[in-house]
Amino acid sequence: MSQKVTRRQFLNYSLMGVGSFMAAGAILPMGRFALDPLFQGEAQGSMITTSVKAEEITEEPVKVDFSYEQQDAWYKSEVTDFVWVYRDGDQIIALSPICKHLGCTVTWAGDDANPNKFFCPCHNGLYEKNGKNIPGTPPRGPLDQYEVGESDGFITIGEMFENELV
Amino acid sequence: MLYNQKDLKVLKDEIEFIDTVIIPFAAMDMDMKAPVHAGNLELLQIVCVQLEKQFKGRLLITPPMMTVGEDTSLLGMYTTQLREYGFKNIIVLTHLQAEPGDMNKIRLNEIPLENMSDDMKMEMINDEVKTVMKSVISIWNQ
Repeated sequence: MSQKVTRRQFLNYSLMGVGSFMAAGAILPMGRFALDPLFQGEAQGSMITTSVKAEEITEEPVKVDFSYEQQDAWYKSEVTDFVWVYRDGDQIIALSPICKHLGCTVTWAGDDANPNKFFCPCHNGLYEKNGKNIPGTPPRGPLDQYEVGESDGFITIGEMFENELV
Repeated sequence: MLYNQKDLKVLKDEIEFIDTVIIPFAAMDMDMKAPVHAGNLELLQIVCVQLEKQFKGRLLITPPMMTVGEDTSLLGMYTTQLREYGFKNIIVLTHLQAEPGDMNKIRLNEIPLENMSDDMKMEMINDEVKTVMKSVISIWNQ
């Protein structure tokens, strides 16, 4: 049952084989380059890792610092901000410390008369623990929330969004 | 609030809430003490940035006002303007000895920042900021 391969066939096969390797060598890297942005976006994300361990977070809100680069027209600078982070059941909540009235920094339990509320020292604004503004005080809305995650046991902070707990 | 177009627009509508103005006041004499003045100015600016973060909604921080020979006449003129605009509390933040007239003054400590390690610097500045914040709050509570 021997099948004879003619000289012409043999040359055809070997040329096609070598040719397709060469074509693949040129096209594959180009294709990978073209697709690269897709893989990048997924791997990097926009979460900023902090130095606070997730297991250290309790029901008492604590300050968690996070740094990022900010571009202001002409120059880039590294900015450090912080969020108030606490545990609610099995969820971790991060709230922005920026008062919704005129932008001061709020503190947890900053007012002795209100030990379980966020307090704004500028105009005595008060917020519940979930960020809800207390009627009768100046703030006009609840504190903003931040996306929170966990990476290798450390808290990560993402985008800011409007409070969804209230 | 800072002295820029965006914040000044907000200020116009919210003057009843933003009732306090901070004037950083510093010397720029070109004499033997020039390096000291430069160091003081740097500290003054860092303190102002922190104050702005904490009390943004109740303070206007003006651009630093510079002086030579501890002359405070310009400061007097400026405070008259600020009062007319509607500010209730005028606070001068300075290293200088000069006693301004009818305004509050918070005197900063002279800290030789250049000879310190970064950790130490941060600690000293944070302490200084805390002291200033307490003074501001006590002025509000008067």
